[in-house]
Formats: sequence, structure tokens, C-alpha cells
Amino acid sequence: MKVLVAVKRVVDYNVKVRVKADGSDVDIANVKMSMNPFDEIAVEEAVRLKEAGKAGEIVVVSMGPKQCEETLRTALAMGADRAVHVETDAVLEPLAVAKLLKAVAEEEQAQLIVLGKQAIDDDCNQTGQMLAALMNIGQGTFASKVDLADGSVNVTREIDGGLETVSLKLPAVVTTDLRLNEPRYVKLPNIMAAKKKPLAKKAPADFGVDITPRLTTLKVAEPAKRSAGIKVASAAELVAKLKNEAKVL
Amino acid sequence: MTTSHSLAEQLATAIPAARIATDDDSLQRYGRDWTRYTEPCASAVVFPTSTEEVAALVKLAASEKIALVPSGGRTGLSGGACATQGEVVVSFDRMNRIRDFNPIDRTVTVEAGLITEALQNFATEQGLYFPVDFASRGSSQVGGNVATNAGGIKVLRWGMFRDWVAGIECVTGTGEVLQLNQGLVKNNTGYDLRHLFVGSEGTLGLITAVTLRLTQPPAPLAVMVLAVPELSDIMTVFASVRAALPLTAFEFFSEAAMGHVLARGHVRRPFDGSAPYYVIFEYEHAHNEDEAALTVFEQLLEQGVVVDGVLAQSDSQARDLWRLREDISESITPRTPYKNDIAVKVSQVPAFVAELDALLAEQYPDFEVVWFGHIGDGNLHINILRPEEWEIDRFRVACERVNELVFALLARFNGSMSAEHGVGLLKRDYLHISRSEAEIALMRGIKAVFDPQGILNPGKVLGQ
Repeated sequence: MKVLVAVKRVVDYNVKVRVKADGSDVDIANVKMSMNPFDEIAVEEAVRLKEAGKAGEIVVVSMGPKQCEETLRTALAMGADRAVHVETDAVLEPLAVAKLLKAVAEEEQAQLIVLGKQAIDDDCNQTGQMLAALMNIGQGTFASKVDLADGSVNVTREIDGGLETVSLKLPAVVTTDLRLNEPRYVKLPNIMAAKKKPLAKKAPADFGVDITPRLTTLKVAEPAKRSAGIKVASAAELVAKLKNEAKVL
Repeated sequence: MTTSHSLAEQLATAIPAARIATDDDSLQRYGRDWTRYTEPCASAVVFPTSTEEVAALVKLAASEKIALVPSGGRTGLSGGACATQGEVVVSFDRMNRIRDFNPIDRTVTVEAGLITEALQNFATEQGLYFPVDFASRGSSQVGGNVATNAGGIKVLRWGMFRDWVAGIECVTGTGEVLQLNQGLVKNNTGYDLRHLFVGSEGTLGLITAVTLRLTQPPAPLAVMVLAVPELSDIMTVFASVRAALPLTAFEFFSEAAMGHVLARGHVRRPFDGSAPYYVIFEYEHAHNEDEAALTVFEQLLEQGVVVDGVLAQSDSQARDLWRLREDISESITPRTPYKNDIAVKVSQVPAFVAELDALLAEQYPDFEVVWFGHIGDGNLHINILRPEEWEIDRFRVACERVNELVFALLARFNGSMSAEHGVGLLKRDYLHISRSEAEIALMRGIKAVFDPQGILNPGKVLGQ
């Protein structure tokens, strides 16, 4: 059973991004880039399924500029078998990504498509859902547990106030949440071996998908600075301020 | 408590009474650093908020012969900030402001109590970088860092704290306020007193503010951990890696050391298997360094010098890998480790390590010896753990016998008996290992000039 995993190259989780002076975007020059952490969890889950003998080939796909190759190589070093790079320097919106993923999934005849619940750069949380809708197949989003059976998959979802388990017929889309697993460290011998694994280059045009953006970014701004706190002399003064100034009492 | 009462009244003539503490909890807490060999015995803790208050306090202390112990983040490992003989602790917790930042000079002037991490974060917010870094960054303070010439994990690339000090404001033992060097790059006008204060451990004056240089941020940093079966091969790994990569740090630790960190359950083992030793290193990743790193790894693997390795794929993984090294000190604290912070020249490390390893194994087979350190600087932290059933005093006496042998070996290698932790109280009686009699006599002379009444951190560095 073939698994397709989608990975995105994003600004590293620990980087504090700065907004460009002209407010057009965040400045990512000379900034550490890594695999989207939720996608890393998706790769880890696929590898674990394979190691448990439940999944066959793992194909990993990424869309974006040349450097996405590094992200794909990381996924290969973690244990994926083969990579597909849909190379483009264009800005990709979730709908365009979902359409491209649909094309790749159909070409690969993947039974299970695993991807992060969202990317930490744009926080859209749309691609997995759009993909399932476009393919007209089931979706198990925000997965904290994935049980693969014959022809179906049980996905435990993290929802408000608890957990929900859904059973999906394959093929299906699963988007991963934080508690699904803890991705492994990548061993150097595996990084070397990953260099020899196949990485196919594609372009959006190969799939006949229109990736023209439908949104325009008007402005990117930093969150408002917090104003400094003040010290009060007594509990009475605190209560008075909460009542009259903050108006929370 | 009448004496303490009258002391508090005396102190109140220099520092507002609200910022003088004499409760047991404060006296315990501020009476010691990270060492656990001495019982805290402070008579008061004061919290000045300005240089003027510090000067007034020192003048009072000089005329009344009140001994003062300057206190920063109290993360020291040599007892330099311990009050053990009824001293008044001068805490810089309330002097933690950033006074001035100059983007053209690329300097920042901060008060002594600013936390190291706050300085690093401030530099980053300005698009610059403050490179001196160590595990205690979240509690150590700038004043203490200067007073102890702190080192840490990035000395290999950026040097010690001393190298970043462009100016010092301090109060000498007579209460005089000095402005030393004042941020200048070039200032060849006689003795550079600023450098006397770096590493003076509070014995020459109280540092109230520091001007520090900032620098260009490095390229994103990559972190790798390698498994090394033989202690003697670690320097081979260092030589290969240093030749191939723009290193910013190169550290080593033993499986036993990592075991204490893993036992806490907050980080994972980096490999499935284990090896007796590990190295962790960090390099700037600007162009194609990962390729170079892999090539080096392949060569070392072929030589049989390393057996496995991991490369962090994100800053989160890099931080977790660093914890394997950085959390060692904290993880072994419950075992009251006897700390040896020794250094030899980098070229001497292999020979020194071989002899030291043989010596410890032969003389002290029953003690658990934890090895780690900044081996790229020739600096080893040898921690001997107290067997749980032993009393602290018995253990300390036994360790002092270990010291005799270790230091005799060190003397043969012309090494340092305290590479970066300073002398403080714990290493004071061994000063002669690393400094000649003539040097120590000159140090006493200097101390007498700056602190004629002997009120500043008495008994530290030099015996009384």
C-alpha cells in the first residue's frame, strides 16, 4: 500500500521573523529554514507504518523553489523511499497546492495521503481539507493516532473537549497534529543513503494545474507592542484601576 | 539578633530599609552559589538600584569594616559568591537596566544585574549578536560574567567574556567610582585597569555597569552529534572537523554524563545504540557546509574513529541535542559532584587525557567520574560524583586527595587548575598550581591598592 506524504519548507519554528521595511512580507534572507514541523510528524508516521509492515512504498512530495530539495532529502533520510519535487518560484496558495497534490496522488495511486494539519508560516490549515474534497475521499484531520487496517484507516482526532475516532475508507487524507508522534533524529549514514534515492522533478504545467494566486497580500505588520506594566501601591488601588481603567471588574 | 538589627540600621544609612533583607530565607538563598560545599552564613542582603547607592554602601563598609560579597545570578561553581563568614551580600538583581545602545559603535551599556539571556535577546532584536553563551544563560548576570570572565560553549569561535568588554563602571574598596575604558576600541594610555576587573571575582571592586561589544549574527547554525568509542580519538575528530567546517563550538561528553541527563526523561537518546563518548559540534551553515560535514563524517567512519552520528534537521532538534551536553551540570547536582575545571593547551589534550584517564581509573575505581567539557579549548570538566551513602565531608576529603594527583599531573603539563570557573573559595588553596609565588605576591599587592580595608569578597581567590 503506497503512502504519499506532503512536506513544506518553512522558516524554522524557533526563528523570530521580522517584517520587511516595506511591509510587503516577512524577511527570510539568511534565516534558518526547516521542514514544517507538522509535516515532519507526517513523514515520521508514514515511516513508522512502513516499519510496522503496514505500509509499502513512501513517496514524499514538496512544491516550491529549488531549495525544497533539501527538505525532500530530509524526508528521504528519515525513511521515505522516493521524492517528487514540483518546482516553481511562484507563490502557492492552498488551493493550488491541493490541486497539484491531487494530480500527484492520482498519478501515484496513493492509498493514504498524510500531511501536516497546517504549515507554521501561513497557518492556513486548508490544504488537507481541500485535497480530500477535490478527490472526493474521506479526511481525518488533526490526527493524534492512526490505525491502519485492510482497506480502511481509523484516525483519532484532537477536537475541542476531547478525542473523536473516525473510520475512513481508503484512499483517504490524514492531517497530523502535534501529539501523533515525536519525529526521530536523522542519522548521518541515512542522510548519505538518501542522496542515492530517486528525486523526480516536475513543473506545475506538467499536471495542467493553474496556480495563479487568487489572493493579494495588502500588508504585513508586526503585532502591536505591549505597553509597559505599572506598579500599584495597594490592593485598593489595584481594584480601583481594574474597575475604572481596565473596566474588567 | 541585636547585632544584626544594628547592622541593618547601619546599612539603612546607605540603602533604603525596604531593600535590606535579613530573613532566613533570603540569607540562605543569597548566601551561596551553585556549589554545595559551604553552609551559607550571610548577615544581610542588600539590593541597590544605582551606582550611587553602591558607592555609599562601600564607603560605609570601608569605614565600619563590613565585609561585602557581590552577588549576581549565583550560578558560579567555585564558591566565589558564597557568604560564609557573616558578610553582607550585595545583590545586583535590581540593577538590570539597559542604559544605552549605540548602533554605530555596536555597543550596549547595561547594568551589572542584567541576565545574560536578556542581553543576547536584546542584541538579536537590534539585528546584532552577543556570542558568549553557556548553560546558565537564563540566570547568570552580566556583572558576574565579567567578574568571573565567563567562558562557555562558543569560546572556540568568539572567545571569553573578556573579549567583549569595552568598558566597566565599578566601585573600588574605598567607594570611588571608576569609568574604565568607556567603550573605546583603541585606548593605549597606560595600564588597562578594565582588564584587571575582568576575572577579579569581586575582590578589587563591585562592578555596577558594563559596556559590551556586539557583532554581526552568524549564518544559521547546524548541530551534529557523533558517537566516538575511544576517548583518545576525540582530538582526531576535532582536527578533522575543524579543518573542514566553520566551527562555533566543539564539546564532548561521556555516555555516563549523558545518562544522567537522559534519566530525567526530558530529552531522547540521539542514537539507538550507545558509545562511550560523544562529541557535539556546531557550525555556520551558509553555503554547502552540510556536504563538507558529511564528507568528514564518511572519512571518520572509514577510519573507525566514529561509529554513528546525527544532524539536527531544525532548531528545535538542535536545542534538544544541545541539552544532552548543557543539562549535564544540572543533572548531576544532586550527587554533590566534586568539580575539576581544568585546561591544558589544545595540542596537549590527547597526552593529558590519556594520563588522567589512567590515573583516575587506577586510583579511584569506585568513584563515578563524569567527563565532559569544551575540549576544543583544551578545557575538561571532570566531575567526581559522591557515592550516595557517603557524607559530604568524607567525600570532600577523599576528593582533595584526588586533587593532589590531578594537579600534580596538571603542573607537569603547565595547565590551569581553573579554566573558566574561577578560583573563589573552592580552588583558592590550589592557586599555586597555576600561578607562581611572585605572581601571587603581586596579586596581593594589587588587591591592597584597590581594597585597602580588605572588605571586598574577603577570603576569595587569595587567602586572608
